[in-house]
Amino acid sequence: MRPSIILMLVLSGYVLLYGLFFLVPGAGQSAEQAADIRLMQEAAAKFALSDLALSTEARYTRHPAVSDPVVVTMDHPGALDHFPSTLFWAPGGRRL
Amino acid sequence: MSTFFGRFLNILDYAISSLARNFGKNCSIFILFTLVIFLFASFQLMTGSLTALAEKILVTAPDITVQQMSAGRQVAVAGAAKERLAGILGVKKVSERIWGYYFDEASGANYTVIGLTPSPGAGDEGSWPGVAEGRLLLPHDRGKVVVSRDIRETLGLDDRRHFSLFRPDLSMASFETVGTFAEKLDLLTADVILMTLADARDLFAIEPGLVTDLLVTVANPQELDTIAGKIAGILPGVRVITRNQIRKTYNVVFSWRSGLGAICLLTALAAFAIFAWDRASGLSREEVREVGILKVLGWQTEDIILLRFCESAVISLLAFLTGFLLAWIHVAVFQGTFLRQVLLGWSVLRPSGAFTVQFAFADLLLIFSISVLPYLCATAVPAWRAAVVRADEVI
Repeated sequence: MRPSIILMLVLSGYVLLYGLFFLVPGAGQSAEQAADIRLMQEAAAKFALSDLALSTEARYTRHPAVSDPVVVTMDHPGALDHFPSTLFWAPGGRRL
Repeated sequence: MSTFFGRFLNILDYAISSLARNFGKNCSIFILFTLVIFLFASFQLMTGSLTALAEKILVTAPDITVQQMSAGRQVAVAGAAKERLAGILGVKKVSERIWGYYFDEASGANYTVIGLTPSPGAGDEGSWPGVAEGRLLLPHDRGKVVVSRDIRETLGLDDRRHFSLFRPDLSMASFETVGTFAEKLDLLTADVILMTLADARDLFAIEPGLVTDLLVTVANPQELDTIAGKIAGILPGVRVITRNQIRKTYNVVFSWRSGLGAICLLTALAAFAIFAWDRASGLSREEVREVGILKVLGWQTEDIILLRFCESAVISLLAFLTGFLLAWIHVAVFQGTFLRQVLLGWSVLRPSGAFTVQFAFADLLLIFSISVLPYLCATAVPAWRAAVVRADEVI
């Protein structure tokens, strides 16, 4: 068999795998995911939640939407910002 | 047309055979390239998934949150301001909230304590799927809380329902867990202890008449910004946060996150491009001879450039498809194990299953553009240099 045909077969295999991973599980889970998101929307409304509980180590990573906009030196003047996740959290997003 | 296609297929055949002859060298390039694309794609898929989730979930966040600021920091707001806000035309409801953080020294975890006045009838919703065990809080409840499954584990409650937290004066405040949040709500409530306003006031020793913030519900969402402006005018020194600003914050936060992550990973990509350039330009004697022989056999310069392009395209395309697929599995099945620590920080309490990957053609195109195209560019000049070798000089 010609190498180019083998390559085409390999690429076809990838297309099949991509279809399997991207489309089939997406179709199967969409109803369940939509129900979960509705439940989380209800919870956010019921308990007046404004933020996701992703990084819970400091208030400016736990509640970026409603905590102080300036995070460095917030605890005391000259305080070092020591949590690695704050490297990725933009302070004061609502002002941008 | 068929002649061109046939010629292209012949060159492609030769390119694949050529790759197979230098299997070790090409395999190392393939593995490195796959790894770089895997990291890029994982980061992109994880932040994309979080942005989409935040966008969907926070549509029901409070309409307007009013906080008092003093010396650039948030302080308690007088509950009396509630009446002034309720008088604004278009305001449907104003609720008080006391919330804060409780650091558990024993476990190193930070709990988010939220104190609200439960709405009448809330406890009747025993079948609400958001509470896996028990019930929600009732208006007359005192010393009762609803906590997450993670907090129960962190506090080591097992089957017990009672636990204590320290007040600022180090006296103990006792609580009974009357409900546990469902695991499905972990993304919102992984670290939440929900209690009544009076209990939160008692725990944090907040003076009567003061609350952390006021939550304003407006009748017409179209008037949200106008009412927010009025509130800022009525109460001096307050920070007014609208729901749209909350959602925008998350968009900015995750864009920032993925942008900074991508910049870090760009160094990996640049290092790989240099490596690819070096490998492609450092032609061995055998490779130079091969080009010479091909030229003697009648191959033109453009044929050899096409041959080198096919080699680079095959490697980069296969690496791209493999890397992106592995990244998809990494995020969708393994919840981003390798990058989770970097993205979610040092938290003791963290939600399980935070990443729900959604296919976006834009992600695929972005990763393709910042990985495959630079690689093809990096190998273009060495390919041209290899193709202009004179046959009589190398054979």
